[in-house]
Amino acid sequence: MIEVVLNDRLGKKVRVKCNEDDTICDLKKLVAAQTGTRADKSRIQKWSNIYKDHITLKDYEIHDGMGLELYYN
Amino acid sequence: MANRTDPAAKSIRGTNPQNLVEKILRSKIYQNTYWKEQCFGLTAETLVDKAMELDHLGGTHGGNRKPTPFMCLVMKMLQIQPEKEIVIEFIKNDDYKYVRILGAFYLRLTGTDVDVYRYLEPLYNDYRKLRQKLPEGKFSLTHVDEVIDELLTKDYSCDIALPRIKKRWTLETLGSLEPRRSVLEDDFEEEEEKEENDQLDGLEDEAHEKDYYRGRSPARERDRDRRRDRDRYRERDYDRDYDRDYDRERGRGRDRDRDRERDRDRDRDRDRDRDRDRDRYRLRDEKDYGRDRERDREWEGRERERRDRDRGRRRSHSRSRSRSRDRKDREGGEHRKRHARSSTSPRRRDGAEENGTREEPKKKKERKEKKEDGTDHPDPEIAEANRLRASLGLKPLK
Repeated sequence: MIEVVLNDRLGKKVRVKCNEDDTICDLKKLVAAQTGTRADKSRIQKWSNIYKDHITLKDYEIHDGMGLELYYN
Repeated sequence: MANRTDPAAKSIRGTNPQNLVEKILRSKIYQNTYWKEQCFGLTAETLVDKAMELDHLGGTHGGNRKPTPFMCLVMKMLQIQPEKEIVIEFIKNDDYKYVRILGAFYLRLTGTDVDVYRYLEPLYNDYRKLRQKLPEGKFSLTHVDEVIDELLTKDYSCDIALPRIKKRWTLETLGSLEPRRSVLEDDFEEEEEKEENDQLDGLEDEAHEKDYYRGRSPARERDRDRRRDRDRYRERDYDRDYDRDYDRERGRGRDRDRDRERDRDRDRDRDRDRDRDRDRYRLRDEKDYGRDRERDREWEGRERERRDRDRGRRRSHSRSRSRSRDRKDREGGEHRKRHARSSTSPRRRDGAEENGTREEPKKKKERKEKKEDGTDHPDPEIAEANRLRASLGLKPLK
């Protein structure tokens, strides 16, 4: 179980608990549950790498406490 | 300048019609090449030409959320705001299904509640296939009536939040709309009438049964006459039939049994025809479980009555021969029972059988699931997180 920090640079900063083998899509669902936006409207990035929905956090090498950027579509 | 709404356009729901599409999606559409090249300076007429060239519908797709041409045309319609008659023409046209969907979508966004229901519900009868682009970029198959259903029931479609409309029953109670009349309603009414007729027949047979036991009654005489006519060429049987009613209680002799079996077979043929007709109807609307249940009840009523009739007849002393015959008949009856039952919804029979056995593994599963879900984790935070995950359909935290 890892905890990831999502920051949207506009005031929303959420900490989300998830498993390593969750996909980005699942992470978006968890974020949507916490922030209130729609899951398919959000976009998770690291610099200019847009993270794809079907890949797991483990494959993206996202570790505990790492910060990700939250953008909207 | 190209992105300004037509100054003569009315405001929709209190705002610029283009604001129905949210800001991010709107900017994406303005930056799209299809919008810039094809949608520049379109009027209502030229819009129709562009709409006829559409070959798929959808919202945005891909990593950077590229809008589809369908979305761009919706945006254009919001921008120029065509007349209501034109939109209705779009919907009524039969040749181009994507033009129809475009008109329906626009009406859903901009029309009043009554208009939306009035013009979109006839489209439920259109079963044509449509190509839909999914957010991942792949295409999927859908149908016109599915899309219309989405528009009328959900509040989000093609990446646009659909404006709220009143529920249908609210409008019905207000009197603005008539109750929903489906095209299939006539077919259902026919089925129901046939159902009722079958049921009435079943009731008549049961009435016959009661008369049978009471002895000589007009109903019984009618049956006797029927059988008598049938064995006109068999005088022996005629006498025996006549005698049978007097001697039923005593149950004399094997010959009587033989005649009884023979008559029973004849009756069974009649019933089998009736069953076959009934099964045909049964197979046609297997989905209507309530109706199936009624038919089962009626069928079982007939079985019971047949069994009773047989029981009454079998009160003979000559058991050896009748027993073998009875066994065959019994098996034949059961075979038919099994056959008839298999054409009804098998759920019922299986449900009755497995209910007992299912309860135990269910209890075990529940006990296990509590642990698997992790919702009863000692740490309340984690328990809550697991509850959320379970509601989203994810496995619990490790």
